[in-house]
Amino acid sequence: MTRASTYRRQSYPEAGAGLREKLYGLNWLLPALIAVVGAIGVMMIFAATDGVWSHGAAQHAIRIVVAMGVMVLVALVNIRVWYTLSYPVYLIALALLFGVEFFGINVNGSQRWLDLGPVRLQPSEIMKPAIVLALARYYHDLASWRVSSALGLFGALILISIPMALILNQPDLGTTLLLAATGVIIVFLAGVNWRVMWMSMLGLMVAIPLFFKFGLKEYQRARILTFFDPSRDPSGASYHITQSKIALGSGGLNGKGFMKGTQRQGEYVPENRTDFIFTVIGEEFGFIGSLMTIGIYICVISLCVWISWKCKAVFSKLLILGITTTFTLYIFINLGMVMGLAPVVGVPLPLISYGGTVVLVVMFGFGLILSAHLHRNVELPRSSD
Amino acid sequence: MKIPEVSETETINRRALFLGAGAAGVFSILATRLFYLQVTKAEDYRVLSEDNRFNYNLLVPARGDIRDRFGERLAINRQDYRVELIPERTKDIDATLDKVEKIVPLSAAERKRILKDVKENSSFVPVLIKENLGWPAFSKLNIRIHNLEGIIPTVGSVRSYPNAGIFSHTLGYVGRASSAEVEEDRDPLLRQPTFRTGKTGVEAAMEKDLRGSSGRLKVEVNARGRIVREWPDPQTQAKAGSDVFITLDAQLQRFAAEQFIDADGETDSGGVAVIDVITGEVRTLLSMPTFDGNLFVSGLTQNDMNSMNNDPKRPQFNKVLGGGYPPASTYKMVVMLAALESGLIDPANPIFCVGKVRLGNRNFHCWSRRGHGPMTMRQALKNSCDSYFYEIAHVLGIEKIANMARRLGLGQTYDIGVAGQRRGIVPDPEWKQGRLGTAWRDGDTFNTAIGQGFTLATPLQLSVMCARLANMEKAVVPSLLIGQELPAFSNLDVNREHLAFVNEAMWSVCNEPGGTAYKPNGLEIPGHQMAGKTGTGQVRGISTSERDSGVRKNSKLPWKLRDHSIFVGFAPYDAPRFAVGTIVEHGGSGAKRAAQISRAVLAEALRRDGLGTTPVSDSDAVNETPTGANNTIGGVSGRNGTSSSSNLPPRL
Repeated sequence: MTRASTYRRQSYPEAGAGLREKLYGLNWLLPALIAVVGAIGVMMIFAATDGVWSHGAAQHAIRIVVAMGVMVLVALVNIRVWYTLSYPVYLIALALLFGVEFFGINVNGSQRWLDLGPVRLQPSEIMKPAIVLALARYYHDLASWRVSSALGLFGALILISIPMALILNQPDLGTTLLLAATGVIIVFLAGVNWRVMWMSMLGLMVAIPLFFKFGLKEYQRARILTFFDPSRDPSGASYHITQSKIALGSGGLNGKGFMKGTQRQGEYVPENRTDFIFTVIGEEFGFIGSLMTIGIYICVISLCVWISWKCKAVFSKLLILGITTTFTLYIFINLGMVMGLAPVVGVPLPLISYGGTVVLVVMFGFGLILSAHLHRNVELPRSSD
Repeated sequence: MKIPEVSETETINRRALFLGAGAAGVFSILATRLFYLQVTKAEDYRVLSEDNRFNYNLLVPARGDIRDRFGERLAINRQDYRVELIPERTKDIDATLDKVEKIVPLSAAERKRILKDVKENSSFVPVLIKENLGWPAFSKLNIRIHNLEGIIPTVGSVRSYPNAGIFSHTLGYVGRASSAEVEEDRDPLLRQPTFRTGKTGVEAAMEKDLRGSSGRLKVEVNARGRIVREWPDPQTQAKAGSDVFITLDAQLQRFAAEQFIDADGETDSGGVAVIDVITGEVRTLLSMPTFDGNLFVSGLTQNDMNSMNNDPKRPQFNKVLGGGYPPASTYKMVVMLAALESGLIDPANPIFCVGKVRLGNRNFHCWSRRGHGPMTMRQALKNSCDSYFYEIAHVLGIEKIANMARRLGLGQTYDIGVAGQRRGIVPDPEWKQGRLGTAWRDGDTFNTAIGQGFTLATPLQLSVMCARLANMEKAVVPSLLIGQELPAFSNLDVNREHLAFVNEAMWSVCNEPGGTAYKPNGLEIPGHQMAGKTGTGQVRGISTSERDSGVRKNSKLPWKLRDHSIFVGFAPYDAPRFAVGTIVEHGGSGAKRAAQISRAVLAEALRRDGLGTTPVSDSDAVNETPTGANNTIGGVSGRNGTSSSSNLPPRL
C-alpha cells in the first residue's frame, strides 16, 4: 500500500506540471542539433537535385519541420505511456510486416512497402524503434539475474529474430543487419555476461558463411562479392562505389563549392539524393565539410549517451541507447558504404538523405529519447518485482 | 530478492561507455578513410572526375566547293531540311510518328529503322526521321510543331551538284565512308553518321583538301552522355575544307552537252574532251548521257539503280576517260608521221586505191568500195583512203607505228588526279604475244594502220594526241586540277616539218571540198579555220557476202551494231588553241555526229576564249603566201584557194 502510494506520488511528479513547464524542461540542445542536421540535409538535397526546390529539398524541409513537431509531441507524452505501449507498438509493427509479406507492393524486386490508401508505409522502418521499445521493456521487466540465462536469452532472441526473418524475406539485407546489430547491442547493454557474448560471436562466425550461401538473394550476394572484389562488375554495383569515391576524392580538402560539384552535375553517382547524399557533401564541401557533418552527428550521439546517463530506469536507458545505436549504425553503414568500406546496402544517412519514413521514424526515436529525459524521474514498474 | 538497481544501471552505463569507445573507433576509421580519399588521394580523384566530366564532340567541317576555272560552283553544300525525333520528349513514339506521317510520308521500312534507332540510343539522342524534305513539308512541320511532341525540324548540310549531272563523271560524288575506308583513314570524321566522303572523281581525288579538319567541342557530359554544358574553344573550331578549282569551263561543258542531243531530241552516247593545246588544261571533259550525282548523296533507290544499269547507253560509265574505242581513221596521222619519219615513203608518190588490198588470201577493204584511184599521202588523209594506209603500214612495219602512237600520247594514262582512266591499247607484236600469246601477223598491221583491230583509245587520249599534233613542240599532258604541280612538258621530238604536213592535211579534211569533214566556214568564226580528222569505228565484222550485196547502212542497223563516230581536231588552224577528241557511240560515220559536235564545241571554246567576239578585219585575215616548206615534204601545194576563207599559211 505504501509502495503503491509512494509509487503514485513519485510516478507523476509532473502530473500537475503544465505544458509550458514541460516544454521548458525539454532538452532543447538535441532538437537544435537535429535541426542543424536536417538543414544540412535540405541544403544537400537542394544541391543534389540541381537547385530545384520541388525535386525534394522543399519536401524534405517540410518533413523535417513536421517530424520535429511529432518529436516534441512524442517527447511530451509520459514515458510511462511509451513503456505501456512498447509491446503493442512492437506487435503492430510485426503485424504490418506480416501485412507486407502478403499485401506489400513490389518495388525493384523487393516487397517492402505497404499501401494504406493515402500513405505508403515501410513497416521495416517502424520496426526499428519498435524493437528497441520491445527489448527495453523486456529487459526492464526481466530480473537482472535472468539476463544471461537461457530463458532470458531465448525471449530476446524471439523478439529479434521474428522481425528479422520477415524483413530478410522482403528482401532487405541492410535493415535486417541493422535490426540484428541493434538487438545484439541492446542485449549486450542489458548486461548479458561476456561468456555468452563470446560464444554467440563464435556462433555468428559459423552462421554467416552459411547465411551467405543460403539466406541471400542473388543480387545481395553480388553486392557483397563486388565489395570485396570491385573488378567483378565495373559498370554495375562497383560503379556505384567507384563513382562515389571519385566524388568524395575530387572534393579535396575544401570541396568544389556549393552547387559546383561536377560529379553531382553529371549525375555520375546514382541515388545521390538518397543513400549517396554524402558524396554531395564530400564533393562540394570537401574533407572539412565532411568532417564537420560527422562532427555534428557525433555531438548528437554523445548528447544521447549523456542523456541515458541521466536516466535511472532500465527501460529509459536501454530505450535511449537502443535508439542511439540504430541512429549510429545508420551513419556507420551509410558512410562506410559511401567511402567504399562496406558493401552497398540501401541504408540512408539519417535526417540528411531524402526519404519520408526514415525522417519520421528517426524523429519519433528522438522524441522517445527526449521523453525519457523529460520524465527521467518517473519510476517505472518492474513486473519481476 | 531485489537486485540493487544501482548495479544494473551501472552495468548499462559502463557498457554504454564501452560501446561509445567502439563508436569513437569507428568514427576514427571513417575520418581516416575520408582523409585518405579527400586529402591523400585528392589529386588522383580530381583527374578521374575530369575524365568523367568531359567529352569531346566532333565538329564537322563544311566541305569545300568544287569550282570551274572561272569560279562557277560545280559542287556545293546545300541546306538539307530534316526532321528528327527526341524519344524522351514524347510519350508515345508511334502516335507521334503517325502525326508526322500525315505531313511526311514514311515507308514501313523507314518506320522500322526509326524504331530501331530509338531502341539503340539513349532517349535524349535525336533520331533522324527523314532527310531531304522539301520546303513545303518542312514549313508545314514547323507550323504544326506545337502538337508534335519530341519532333524537331533541323537544317543540315548536304552535298549538291547543281548542273544536272553534266559534271557527275568528273566530279564524282560523296557517300558514307565504307568500313574499309574507316579502317584505313583514322580521321574520326569518317565515323560520323552524317559525314560524307568523296567516293569517285574529283571528290575522291581532292578529298584531303575538300574535307577540311574536324573541330572539337569540349562538352561537359553527365553519366548518360547528355551534354551539361559546352566549353567553346576557338582553337578547336572545325576548319572548313578549301575550295578546289578545276580547269573545266562549265559553260563550255554545258554547251558540249547540248550538242549531244540529236535532231530527234535523243541523247547520244559518247564523250568529248577539249584540251588547251598549249597548257594541256582540260576545258571540257564530258561523258554522255549523264547521271545525277545528287542521287548518290541522298541514297540511291532501287529504281534509280535499275534504270541506270539497264540503260544501254550506260550513263554511269565515264566514257571520256574510261571508254576504249577503236580510234579508226584518226589513227592515220600516227601512221603518216611514222612514215614521214622513216623516210621510207615519199608522200608525194601516189598509191592507187582499187577499193581493197590483197594480203595473202585475204582482202582488206577501203571504205570506198570502188576505190579512190591514185592517192598521195595528203589526199589519202583528206579522203581517209584505207588502201593507202594499208600499203604504207605494210612497208613501215608495226613497230614504227606503235612507237609514234605512244609518242603522241596513246596507250597511257595521265596524272590528272581523277581515277578511272583507261590505258587503251597501242598494239604491237610484244603486246599481242603478251596478251593473246600469238604472233603478230601482217593482217594485224593492216588493221592497225586504220586504227582498227586491237587499237583502243579514249576520247581524252585522242584529244591529247591531237593537241600534240597541233602544238608541234611539246608533248602536251592534260591536267584537270588547278594548283596541282605539273611537270614541264617534254619535247615531242617529232620533226616539225612532218607535223606541219600532217596538220595541213588535217586542214584539208575540214576545209577542202571532198574532205571527209568538209564544211565551208565550219567554225563560223571569220578568219579562223579548224583542222581535224574523222574516224568511223567499226564494231562488227562485215562478211564477204554482205560486202558483195552491199554493206548495210548504219541507219538500217540496230543501234548496238552501228559504227562509232569519231573525230579529232584543233582550232584555230593558224594558231592552235584547243584540241578536241570526240566519240559518239554508234553514231555512224565520223563525219556525222562526232564532227558536228567537235566543230560546234571547238567554235564555242574559241568564242569563249575571245575569238570571234570582235569581227576580224580583212587585213588581219591571214593572207600570206605559202612558203616552200610543204614542198620539201612532198610538194603538195594544198592551198588551192577553194576553201571558204582565204588561204592559210603553212604552220611552221
